[in-house]
Amino acid sequence: MSDHAWLEMCLEGCAAARAAGATEAEVFAQHAVETSVTIEKGDLQLARSSTESTFGVRALVGDQLGFASTNAASDLAAACRDAVILARSAPGDPHNRLPEPRRAEPVAGLDDPNWEEFTAADAVRCAVEMLRVSAAFDKRVIVGDAGVSSVRLTRAIANTRGAAAAETVSLFSHHILVTAREDERVSSMDFQYGASRRAREIDVAPTVILACRNAVDSLGTGKGRTFRGVVILSPSAALEILVSPLLFQVNARNVLRGLSRWDGSLGAEIAAPTVSVADDGTAPGGIASSSFDREGTPRAPLTLIERGRLASFLHNAYSSSASTAPNTGHAAGPASSPPMIGPTNLTFAPGAPSLEEQIADTELGLLVGRFSGNVDPISGDFSGVAKAAHLVQRGRRAAVSETLVAGNVFDALRAVLDTSSDVQRIFGFALPYVRLDGISVTAG
Amino acid sequence: MERILEDLVGRSSDWLEARYQERRSLTLSVRNGHFEQCSSVRTRGVGLRALAASAFGFASTTDLSKRGLADAARAAGKLAAAAAAETHRPPVRLAPVPPARGVFRVQTADPVDAHSLEEKIELVLHLDARARRASARITASSVTYSETCEDRILATTEGTLVRVIDAKPSLRILAVAASHGEQAMGVQTAGVSGGWSELANARSPEALVDEAVRVAVDQLSAPHAPGGVATVVLDPELVGTLCHEAIGHTVEADIVLGGAVTAGRLGTRVASDLVTMVDSGLPPSGPYVVGWLPIDDEGTPATRTALIERGILRSYLHNRETASHFGAAPTGNARAFLYSDEPIIRMTNTYIERGETPVDEMLAGIESGYYLRGFAMSGQADSSAEFMFGVREATRIERGRSAGLVKGITISGNAFDVLQSVDAVGNDFAWENGAGFCGKGQPAKVDAGGPHLRCRITLGGLQP
Repeated sequence: MSDHAWLEMCLEGCAAARAAGATEAEVFAQHAVETSVTIEKGDLQLARSSTESTFGVRALVGDQLGFASTNAASDLAAACRDAVILARSAPGDPHNRLPEPRRAEPVAGLDDPNWEEFTAADAVRCAVEMLRVSAAFDKRVIVGDAGVSSVRLTRAIANTRGAAAAETVSLFSHHILVTAREDERVSSMDFQYGASRRAREIDVAPTVILACRNAVDSLGTGKGRTFRGVVILSPSAALEILVSPLLFQVNARNVLRGLSRWDGSLGAEIAAPTVSVADDGTAPGGIASSSFDREGTPRAPLTLIERGRLASFLHNAYSSSASTAPNTGHAAGPASSPPMIGPTNLTFAPGAPSLEEQIADTELGLLVGRFSGNVDPISGDFSGVAKAAHLVQRGRRAAVSETLVAGNVFDALRAVLDTSSDVQRIFGFALPYVRLDGISVTAG
Repeated sequence: MERILEDLVGRSSDWLEARYQERRSLTLSVRNGHFEQCSSVRTRGVGLRALAASAFGFASTTDLSKRGLADAARAAGKLAAAAAAETHRPPVRLAPVPPARGVFRVQTADPVDAHSLEEKIELVLHLDARARRASARITASSVTYSETCEDRILATTEGTLVRVIDAKPSLRILAVAASHGEQAMGVQTAGVSGGWSELANARSPEALVDEAVRVAVDQLSAPHAPGGVATVVLDPELVGTLCHEAIGHTVEADIVLGGAVTAGRLGTRVASDLVTMVDSGLPPSGPYVVGWLPIDDEGTPATRTALIERGILRSYLHNRETASHFGAAPTGNARAFLYSDEPIIRMTNTYIERGETPVDEMLAGIESGYYLRGFAMSGQADSSAEFMFGVREATRIERGRSAGLVKGITISGNAFDVLQSVDAVGNDFAWENGAGFCGKGQPAKVDAGGPHLRCRITLGGLQP
């Protein structure tokens, strides 16, 4: 079916909701065609295909809101009626509203016109290549889980205020989870993910080699040291420790819920001047790019933190209305749930020094390859195990195991010394190594 | 649908498994007195799994016509053949199970459908208001009620035809307290396989709210704990978390074959001889337990699987394929979350069996240590059995007595080292009764629990 045909179904759904008693309605459709191959126990395990359409209906009866979802096109009218029934029972909220229609410009590079040429056999060949690369890297590596997937996704949305948009994108992704084992010693697990918008850009080897190297490096590590001081977070660790709670805090819905300590802090210094963070859902070919958000609002670039100062929150239509701020087009989520708020392609700005220069400039510190722990996004307290970690002493590093790190995210953001020029892409995030001070490090 | 599926697999000359699932869920959510979500989700479809010598193929469809199902069955066969053509491993063998027939219904005297939408909305509004009234320090609250009702039908070319009718309601309470620029939260959950009254009986909804508020307020004034190795008593929720996350995943046979630390260790000592750990879809102590699974998604009936018996590793968790590989019997752990998911090895209800020591006696025996309670809903574990979990609440124990609350604690280490250090197992028992999910590529509802345990463990904290 064409984008136009899906949009027509959304419009018909809006009419059905109106006929059932809705004063306003929105229908969001997702149609996904997926082919994937999974590797388990070091060999091909399963090839699979699925085709699924999901419809999410929001119905407003005055300021009362109901949501219903179905995966059967034949049940769309029933879902529209369900949404109206739920709305009639739900208490009202004056900020329950649908966004005004705005035209979304197409984002380039999101669809592969040759998508259909990538078959299950091609996915199998990519998976076989992952196994070959891992086996060639080191015999101690065990591939526990891996996979290759191609998805073609059509999204369409219409509401009774006149919003109407549709687009089709493709995504080719692969992932690998490995451990290394030597006699009785078992390494930390390492997970890596790669993705592209075009089949010809699939490159599994770098992903596999990085995972294998990290797993092998964490075999046979030595004991760490206990101190309070400098820690260098890898992009993966920075995502867990810094970026996840940061996203919780800038989510305008959490501000309205009284969960963000940055409420009323726009323009205030909340991090060191070395910290700048931006989000851009319009990046051509971006893994998290799209021309419109989950409510049909056009995507746009947004600065969240500018040299340590809070510049904006992420908004959807509800939070925009409730806080009288512009809608930033960050409604997120699948058709099977009501719209939430989420980032798109997020960039933590890189700095001047390379990772090696950051290490050379550190008298005593810990390089954290991966963080396995607990981060409380409200209090900001974090504590956990530094995986694939290296003790840095006088500019030299040595692998260590069983080392714990703890601190507070809000203090840590103010204590960022620098960010590296090296940047790694993890899903939709582009992140540098982040060096910060004042972190508790406890040898196990 | 049963007849359609039986007819479909009956016409297949190769091994074929067909699984229909109809699922509907309701979610009601209130935050700070504002109604946030009133939503209903319905899905239905069929997943088809085919086997071609050394690989499986899987296709799912929402086209439930005979033709649509036949097309999907053919697609699954072709996908299996495509994968089998590129693999060098020997043909897959499936451990035999007798063909299963029958209908399995979740037990309830009070189905969730017998209660109106208005009654459920009233409950979440009432609980949210109670949280915000409970203390002037509560600055935010939320209450979420969810229910999921399922109807699953499984048919295989080996003659299995079973239907499982299930319902799982749950509650989640969040309270956030603030004072002098500090914020802290308390979270409480309850979930069952059953109905409305079984959920209320699992833990009183009002008691859940009061406990979430108490934890949030108490955490505000608690100092941070120092890091290091300590003697601790773990409550049943943390014991369940340790069982499930840190041990349970390492004994899932697919993870074992992927290089887990338990590989080759059957019959060896991995824990104190006080420890017996079990997984069962039908545990004797709880018909309403969240991971209720009378028969799995390959048609294997639930059984009691003793994973660790008096400290000795005795078994892995199997599907039919891994059971054949290890020469073991299938354990009833093949599960798929949605019709569009293929069955994989998952836990059901995983627990340590009760011991003989009263909890008071365990605490009194600590010279210097901690009483740790509740899983802070975050953490990770590796197939090496190394783990890290956040702890919701911790009391410092000095000479057997409480020396005040501390906060910011995580526990970590190697789970088998922790189990080796167990010197007392409580004579109590509780299920975690969680409202959450286990994630392993696809979600699964599971439960876990046990008695209190005393052991040595590494605490993460702050350095001066």
